[in-house]
Amino acid sequence: MAKAKKPLEAVAGDPALAALREQLTAAAAAFVGDSAHLGELLRAMVDDVQRAAAEPVEIFPVKHHSPASALHMVRRLRERPPRVIFMEGCEDLGAALTGLEHCRFPVALQAYAPEAPAFPVEWTPLNLVAPLTEFSAEYQAIAFSLQSEGTELVFVDRSVDHVFQWMPREGPPPGVDDEESDEAGDDDEEEGEADEEGRGGGNTANLHGGAVGLQIGAMQPTFGDFLDVLLRNARVRHYSEWWTQYVEGPTLAADYATYRHVFFLIGALLRRIGITEKDRAEDSARERYMWAKIRAHLRARKIDPKDAIYVCGAIHAVSPIPEFGTQGDAEWTIPGRTDTKWFYGLVPSSYAAIEHQFGLPSGEIAIAQSMWEKGLKALDLRPFKIGKADAEGKAKAGVKVRSKPAAAAASGPAPASPPPSVADSAIALRDFLTRPPTFVEADDEQLMRWCLDVVRLARKNGYMASTADTIAIHHTAGLLAKLRDRPHPSPYDFQDAAITCLEKDRTPRRRTIQRICQILLGGDRLGRVGYESLPPLAQDVYDRLAILGVNLKSTRIERALLDIQSRPELLPASDLLWRLRYLGVPVRPIMGERSLGHKPKQESWDIDIGKHQHGLIQLGYEGMTIEQVLERKLKKAAFESTARAASALKAAEDSILYLRSGRLTRELGLRATELLRAELGAADAPEIFQRVRALVHYYRTIGLPGWIKDFVSTGYQHYATLLPYAFSDRGTAPRQLAAMLAFIFTQEALAFSMGCERSQLLIALDQAEPEDPAKIALHWAAEWIVGLRTEDQIREEFLHLMENPLLLPAFPEYMAGFLLALEFTPRITRIAVELLTRAFGRLPDEVLVPWMPTLVVTLRPLGGQLMQTLVKEAGLAFPRGLGELAGWEFAWERQLPAVSEPAKGAQESAHQGAVGPAQELSPEEASLADLLRHHPMSLDALATRLGIDAGWAAVSSSVAASSAPGGAPSTPTQSAEKTPLAALLAEFPASLEALAMRVLGD
Amino acid sequence: MAKSKASTGKKSEETTPSASTPASGASETKLRLPAEEKYAEELAYLASVDQDARPFAWRLSPRMIRTFILGASPQDKLDRPIPQKFFGDPSLVERAIVTLASDRGLLLIGDPGTGKSWLAELLAAAICGNSTHVVQGTAGTTEDHIKYSWNVAMVIASGQSRESMIPSPIMTAMTRGEIGRFEELTRCSSDVQDALISILSEKYVTIPELSGDESVVYARPGFSMIATANSRDRGVNELSTALKRRFNFVTIPIVTNKRAEKEIVMFRTRELMARNRIEVDVPPTMLDILIQTFADLREAMANAQSEEGRLESSLSTAEQIGVIEDAMLHSTFFGSKTLEPGTLARSMVGTLVRRVPEDVSILNKFWHAQGAAGEGGAKKRKKGAAKEETTDATAPAVSPEVAAFIAGGKQALASIK
Repeated sequence: MAKAKKPLEAVAGDPALAALREQLTAAAAAFVGDSAHLGELLRAMVDDVQRAAAEPVEIFPVKHHSPASALHMVRRLRERPPRVIFMEGCEDLGAALTGLEHCRFPVALQAYAPEAPAFPVEWTPLNLVAPLTEFSAEYQAIAFSLQSEGTELVFVDRSVDHVFQWMPREGPPPGVDDEESDEAGDDDEEEGEADEEGRGGGNTANLHGGAVGLQIGAMQPTFGDFLDVLLRNARVRHYSEWWTQYVEGPTLAADYATYRHVFFLIGALLRRIGITEKDRAEDSARERYMWAKIRAHLRARKIDPKDAIYVCGAIHAVSPIPEFGTQGDAEWTIPGRTDTKWFYGLVPSSYAAIEHQFGLPSGEIAIAQSMWEKGLKALDLRPFKIGKADAEGKAKAGVKVRSKPAAAAASGPAPASPPPSVADSAIALRDFLTRPPTFVEADDEQLMRWCLDVVRLARKNGYMASTADTIAIHHTAGLLAKLRDRPHPSPYDFQDAAITCLEKDRTPRRRTIQRICQILLGGDRLGRVGYESLPPLAQDVYDRLAILGVNLKSTRIERALLDIQSRPELLPASDLLWRLRYLGVPVRPIMGERSLGHKPKQESWDIDIGKHQHGLIQLGYEGMTIEQVLERKLKKAAFESTARAASALKAAEDSILYLRSGRLTRELGLRATELLRAELGAADAPEIFQRVRALVHYYRTIGLPGWIKDFVSTGYQHYATLLPYAFSDRGTAPRQLAAMLAFIFTQEALAFSMGCERSQLLIALDQAEPEDPAKIALHWAAEWIVGLRTEDQIREEFLHLMENPLLLPAFPEYMAGFLLALEFTPRITRIAVELLTRAFGRLPDEVLVPWMPTLVVTLRPLGGQLMQTLVKEAGLAFPRGLGELAGWEFAWERQLPAVSEPAKGAQESAHQGAVGPAQELSPEEASLADLLRHHPMSLDALATRLGIDAGWAAVSSSVAASSAPGGAPSTPTQSAEKTPLAALLAEFPASLEALAMRVLGD
Repeated sequence: MAKSKASTGKKSEETTPSASTPASGASETKLRLPAEEKYAEELAYLASVDQDARPFAWRLSPRMIRTFILGASPQDKLDRPIPQKFFGDPSLVERAIVTLASDRGLLLIGDPGTGKSWLAELLAAAICGNSTHVVQGTAGTTEDHIKYSWNVAMVIASGQSRESMIPSPIMTAMTRGEIGRFEELTRCSSDVQDALISILSEKYVTIPELSGDESVVYARPGFSMIATANSRDRGVNELSTALKRRFNFVTIPIVTNKRAEKEIVMFRTRELMARNRIEVDVPPTMLDILIQTFADLREAMANAQSEEGRLESSLSTAEQIGVIEDAMLHSTFFGSKTLEPGTLARSMVGTLVRRVPEDVSILNKFWHAQGAAGEGGAKKRKKGAAKEETTDATAPAVSPEVAAFIAGGKQALASIK
């Protein structure tokens, strides 16, 4: 019954092909009224099988990560070692095979091109991975060829370069997930879960990053409707499940001929109706390539086609192209490669990464692995293992002899797999057709164990699960398997049963039952590339980090503590860690920093290299040591055509931090100077200013090198020249302008020492004609610094703005510009506080309220230091306690009347002349005057200094009266109003007062 | 206004996507046939060809039940077509069937309008040929509704006996070895729910009022329970852990796949129309507009910041069916016999407006956003339609149907006061 349900997967055997064809045509007629079409298809498929089977080069059809393929490969190779194994797979990837013996699988063969001018810029770096698991046919073939001298392994598929050449130039860059088909829907969910999943310190799904993935023997139907029909009729959820149930299981125990035919047939089915036109075209191109390679190789080495095996995906085994086969006369010339330089190596991979990369349902690889192990045990096979070459090599002579009985014995226990011989294959085929699909040993015990374990794990994760559930799961799994036509519950049935019985309306903790099942069925496994197989750079890193004493091979995050103060020999390791971090290798400083002038004392690091080896390995393609890679990277940043002065300066700063190479720093610094000179705008001025300030600061302690002096003087001149333009240019933001001014003013001293002159600046400021309010305010501030404007003038300007209702709305903008000036002159803090206070007091709400957020935004980038001075100044301006508030007034308000009113009074009195100041003298003033008269020298000196003919006025009667009792002699007299000194003093009472205070204080 | 009322009323009646129909004789007397009567022929046929083992006293084997619910494919080699009746993940149905074959109850959870009750009814019909042992859970459900109660007059006349006892639908199902159904389990209070625990584990009910053999009612083999629970009710009456343990939970997701949704709407609409003997087919463009608009609405609701910005309606497939049925009926009886976009829009507005000021303002915003999107929105919609392989190549950027649809919606909104 099961067989009848899937006529399309039925199998052909060599002698029985004709009979099969008739049978299939009859079946087509029976099923569909109009059988011509279907019959045609079936006939064509059988023809395909025949053609593939007749090919003298033994075609070995495989599917990626298929245990059945791997088991048959083991058997086939043990039986009769071929002279050459041709394998689907980029021909140049063969270079990556060396070093596999030191790896823990899964790993991926990688081709990497850091630079590829022939391809679109957004594609670079080009990265391609071909994951390899131990239970795949390709692994077995590789392992075999590595340990037996007589067998040669040749990759024949298009080169990595062609892979990228044949990709459509339009559309998203390769490796970016562009598939959002309906099927991808539940994959995404699983992904989401996986992201939350923290098993073993994080998930590894994204291990391959943006690499393009290649599979040997990819056999995924890409034509959506076909897939739908297939899944619906087979009653499975996804293709992998279908494959496992209908192909993998039955062929696992079948004989070799049957296995091949089944695979050919399915390949033919997919090839003809299962894939899209586009994929078909690409497949054809690849097959042409492969056959051209195979023929060329056979000719060159003079190898009999019968001594060769061609391992390829079943889809390619049944290719309809004319170039197919060694006998075909159609020839195809291989197109050239681009001159991209490729690097080859190994990177670690993981099951999750493979599943993610190829869109497989999660858990599939783990299930495949368990099937492989089960199969090995049931068939009593010994797999080939890379790296176990010694043991195998010794036993090899024996293996050859023993292999045949072993194979025979292997097929013995399996119920329906007679020894592979051509004569029997017809019987085998009939047998295969008529019996229901068998699995390798229905393993009840295993299911029971799963049931127990899932309940245990579920309880651990907060589910209320008990022994009753174990029984229920076991029962339900059995019922589901029966419902789905399976003799024994598959892992998928088990998973469904567990979800049905355990999952209630909510998940107690992070893990759902589905996730728990996946973990139970094998979970993820992470590969590792051994030390010996690493590129020199990575080995070097391992060597140099050995001093830290952490386990770099661990897949967990390792914490390293570096007490550099007590163990200075750790400093190089610290340097290296910082370099690695800069280059994006996953090491994270937990404590410690690296900044200009900082001397490390203690550091602690999280080192995650064991799990993310690929980052290190990819760096290994770019150079021999980490320093070399870093230097190249810095140089690239500074010297590429789009580099700007700021980026070059950053590179220079990084070179100081990470490389301590004066030569390189100088080179980068000079480049920065050169770039600055050529720069037209001031867009980067803020960044340049910050960096230069830090660099100059840093170098002051150890001596300024030539390049920084050069940079500063160039910058001074450059920015001074740019000033007038920047002031009027609308495209230059006030912030950038402020940064330019800051550069000029803060580095002025250094620039002067290099021969710059201030006059250049003065002229530039004079030339500037700003129109923007913010820039006008900046201009005022700059002029104030160089002495072209006074504080009072600035205040006047702002007061004017506030008084004029038409100008009032622009006040915030002026203020914003003015505040920017804080960056280069802290002198304006006082007036800034004053103006802000006034503004808050006076501005109407409709101007003030919208301004507030902008004000915050303006002030924020000024940073902590400037804000501190501003706050301090404001603290001085305002009262400190509540008690002071009553009699308190602003400093400037106190001052202003004091300036203006007495002056006015004095002027009036001076003009009127009638009233002398003496008349208004209060007792204190009288005593003051008295005092002054007693000690005339100071005033005299002052007067002389001021160039005034000093004379003392006579004490007016009242004063004299009051002071007379003191017995003061009246000094020479002159009328007060006539004395220039008096007028002067009247005009500046402050000085006199101060003087008096001082005297009195004494 | 009147229009909107009418459709709202209809809606509530149709929220449970349950079947009714064919023009058989029985439908003259019954408005809606239970599944076992409606598909009696199919069930009889399936039972006749069924050769697999049947658990308990089931009428069909699990595999045949699956075929009955999910439809037959050519490989089943059946002589008559069996249409698909429940649209959803096949593995979900399989899990439900298997649960009933084990000794746990089945609890179907899902948003309103996802077809929980319909699936329960189909399962009950296929397993025991009777889907009418239903208890509707409400806040007023008491333990009597689950177990038994007394015919007071008979008790007074002749005392307490089996004869004077009124068994609940669930007890009836127990005694007959059939499937008992409990709708909206989470609507009734927790202590009432817990009455189910002993029924599900001991499989008998004791009647303390009676003595001797009569005091225990045993369930016959084949008895099981299908309960449904609304996931929107979560937290109202939490199931007790003991009860949870006796149920297997199967969550029915809302259908978001447009193709599947279209199939469901087509299937149900045809059935409903057959009831009224209306032979109008839904134009594919209208269907696309409807499904796309619902998809847009769902997206908008999902992005709404607060509960205020969301419609009260759950925007389920059942609502779509309600909309299209309403529109079809309206255009048949009062319109031009063909489904007009304007009518569809009016039905949609009428169906979705539940709370007068809030829902109207939400829809108003949505509708005008659709209109304002103009070319762009229409193009997007067109693209969606193209994906559904029903694009008509002659249509301009803004198809007249879409324009009419939008205009109709605005008009309908304007008329709600």
